[in-house]
Amino acid sequence: MENNTKDRELLITRVLNAPIDLVWEVWTKPEHIAKWWGPNGFTNTITTMDMKPGGEWNLVMHGPDGTDYDNQSIFKEVVHHRKIVYQHVSAPSFTSTIEFDAQGEQTHLKWHMVFESHEEFIQVVKTFKADEGLKQNIEKLSKYLAEMGA
Amino acid sequence: MIRRDVFQAIADPTRRQIINMIADKPLNVNAIADSFDVSRQAISLHIKILVECELLKINKQGRERYCEAKLDQLGEVSSWIDQYRQHWESKLDNLETYLYQLKKERKHGK
Repeated sequence: MENNTKDRELLITRVLNAPIDLVWEVWTKPEHIAKWWGPNGFTNTITTMDMKPGGEWNLVMHGPDGTDYDNQSIFKEVVHHRKIVYQHVSAPSFTSTIEFDAQGEQTHLKWHMVFESHEEFIQVVKTFKADEGLKQNIEKLSKYLAEMGA
Repeated sequence: MIRRDVFQAIADPTRRQIINMIADKPLNVNAIADSFDVSRQAISLHIKILVECELLKINKQGRERYCEAKLDQLGEVSSWIDQYRQHWESKLDNLETYLYQLKKERKHGK
């Protein structure tokens, strides 16, 4: 496999306004993950979350229209307050690396996703666009408009 | 003609390489074919698909056929990638909101 991941990766960074112990807690406890994971309007059921290398993570996202989306992952690396690496084994397959950097009352988060191949990445992007992209954007737009009106 | 789109065009590594080669300046079909180990027929087929996907235009100059890149359509791909990125960004938006709530709750709880 090529080492260059430029054409099959996503990198997202965010400075969170919370100290590392709180951020780590909401990332590692299923009862917290269930509250914020998934797109707007989705709820989650976490059946397994075994946070150690080789441990399973099974999460079902329940869509607003009643469709369930199974997400199976395997944790590859868990370094307390520093790093979580998991491999998404159900389609689409990708490896996700989340790095945490404590900065006083804030936490810098780096989220790096690498897909198996450019083809798979494009396929995901394409399917996503067809299924969810539009719906989500409309939701976002209406939320934004509501905020502007407020 | 079979319906083609830009995603089909870039789905194949050889076609991506052809697009890269002609992105800066048009090249004739022979020059493109010579840079690959595969048969001329195979390259001709890739070029044909790129033409059908409207990413490549062939200009005849005498007996030479020059391939020129038409990259406008690639913008479509990057805008779809942006939307997919937004999907993940929105997870972090939710996380931020949740952290904010949690901090407030705990402050009041104590």
